[in-house]
Amino acid sequence: MTLFALLFSIVMGSGSLAWGFAQAGLPQFARWIILFGALWLFAVWQRWRWFAYVGLIFNFIVAALGLWLLNFSPGWMFAGAIGGLLAWDLTDFSYRLRFATDEERRGFETRHLVRISFLAILGFGLTSIAMIIKWQFNFDWALLLAIVASFGILQLIIWLRKRS
Amino acid sequence: MSRAFFLSLLIFVLLLAGLTALRGALLALAIPLLLYLFYGLFFGPDKVQLEVHRTLSAERVSPQTPVLVTVSVVNRGDSLESLVLDDVLSPALSVENGSNHHLISLGKNKTFTFEYILRGPRGGYALDTVRVGASDHLGLLRNTQSIHTFGQLFVFPRVTRLKQIQIRPRRTRVYAGNIPARVGGSGVEFFGVRNYQQGDSPRAINWHISARHEELYSNEFQQERVADVGIILDGRQRSNIYAGGHSLFEHSVIAAAALADSFLAQGNRVGLLVYGQYLQWTWPGYGKLQREKILHSLSHAAPGSSQVFDGLQYLPTRMFPSESQIVLVSPLMDDDYLTLVRLRARGYQVMAVSPDPVAFEESFLPRQPEVRLAARVVRIERELMLKKIQRAGVQLIEWNVAQPFDQATRRAFGQRIQGSRL
Repeated sequence: MTLFALLFSIVMGSGSLAWGFAQAGLPQFARWIILFGALWLFAVWQRWRWFAYVGLIFNFIVAALGLWLLNFSPGWMFAGAIGGLLAWDLTDFSYRLRFATDEERRGFETRHLVRISFLAILGFGLTSIAMIIKWQFNFDWALLLAIVASFGILQLIIWLRKRS
Repeated sequence: MSRAFFLSLLIFVLLLAGLTALRGALLALAIPLLLYLFYGLFFGPDKVQLEVHRTLSAERVSPQTPVLVTVSVVNRGDSLESLVLDDVLSPALSVENGSNHHLISLGKNKTFTFEYILRGPRGGYALDTVRVGASDHLGLLRNTQSIHTFGQLFVFPRVTRLKQIQIRPRRTRVYAGNIPARVGGSGVEFFGVRNYQQGDSPRAINWHISARHEELYSNEFQQERVADVGIILDGRQRSNIYAGGHSLFEHSVIAAAALADSFLAQGNRVGLLVYGQYLQWTWPGYGKLQREKILHSLSHAAPGSSQVFDGLQYLPTRMFPSESQIVLVSPLMDDDYLTLVRLRARGYQVMAVSPDPVAFEESFLPRQPEVRLAARVVRIERELMLKKIQRAGVQLIEWNVAQPFDQATRRAFGQRIQGSRL
């Protein structure tokens, strides 16, 4: 089940990005994305777990490129990025599952897939809402975001240090 | 790099890019990552407080005997959503049934018990660590610990019981035993005749000789005592060949175990020296405790190579009482002859038990004329060497390992052997 979800995520991620680029008239670029998707599938077959990190970065860079420089339709780009995130998560999850017996595996798989699907839908929904509600992104907003981000990262670091 | 850190870095880069380019879409792209990260961190494990207990169905077994291991884990801390339990095993042990690792969710004060059956080859194994890894739902934060528990498994070599091995060392100890002591006194075997002394039993008087002389003579019997026996197990890599994934050394260990058991059962004081990469010495002793010590030592014995102990000339003979019995268990190399002769010259009674390396290796080779010819040549060389050793006064037991060890000793001593036991 996890393997199927993982393969589906990779296909969905790479497919969405490729489709977005093809729609915008860049079929050459779309071909490269599909090639990368195929390489990721090959990496899954070869059990190169590290490749999931490369895949996640690649999907987000391509999505960011499409949104920033080329001004593409955001739906396909977000779908591609979320697909990459899911594939990255499921690669690690399938590795953790090696410790589980068959009985334990079924319960864990179901719970994890439900959670991750919920997160994906929620993430996609919130991202879409964020794109619909448009404010003028002026300096005040940028400053506020920077302060909030700095504060959040600081809190995160403190929290992580406490735990370790 | 932890997954949480990697994700945080990616979010940071996206936020930075969004703020730099003043692009809301890039900030929006960070939302799924932020959601994922916060969800993982929110449900992250706090402190891991686990109690682990392990029990084994048996701690002393013979090779490849199944052992049931039961591990129970009690969670004394908060609930753990994802907990990996890995009972760390030596690579030599194999899990036959069940699993030694699990992925579970464990609530507060809940207990999880798992069982598995393992088996393994000869050796001593410590089963003292359970590795636990607690993580959040998404595996972003991991808290890994090694919990130490008590557990050990000794896989002793199979001990074939030999009824009696006849040895006659020059010197014996003072305690009564089975070995003829070359000293007159009370015993079973006739030893000689001497003048009657006050206190001699009338039944001991030799009437035939007394009738021919004018005084009384008494029969003397040979005293039977226990002796010192030093068993030397040859663990040199070069003399213990490997063939077909099997080692001749394993057979040497079986022979050493059977001999030690037999000598101890006769009441002798037995010591063991494993001569290989280094000297592993089990101090001589008596009885069941000594048997246990020797079996422990044999369970850990492994062949090894060392420049110092490459030949037998560095055998520390001072460890063995003078004129005692030495039993060398070795496939024997050409240059071992001189060492055996030297041992004899020093007054030791020497017995050599030699697992046949030629027959052992040949059994794993294809039956071709070339192989047969080569084996024949090597066998002739070996027989010449063994004959030389026998002529030097060394008692020799040659053992074709395809047959049980008790058969080899039966041939050598013409004794009846009982069955086998651990």
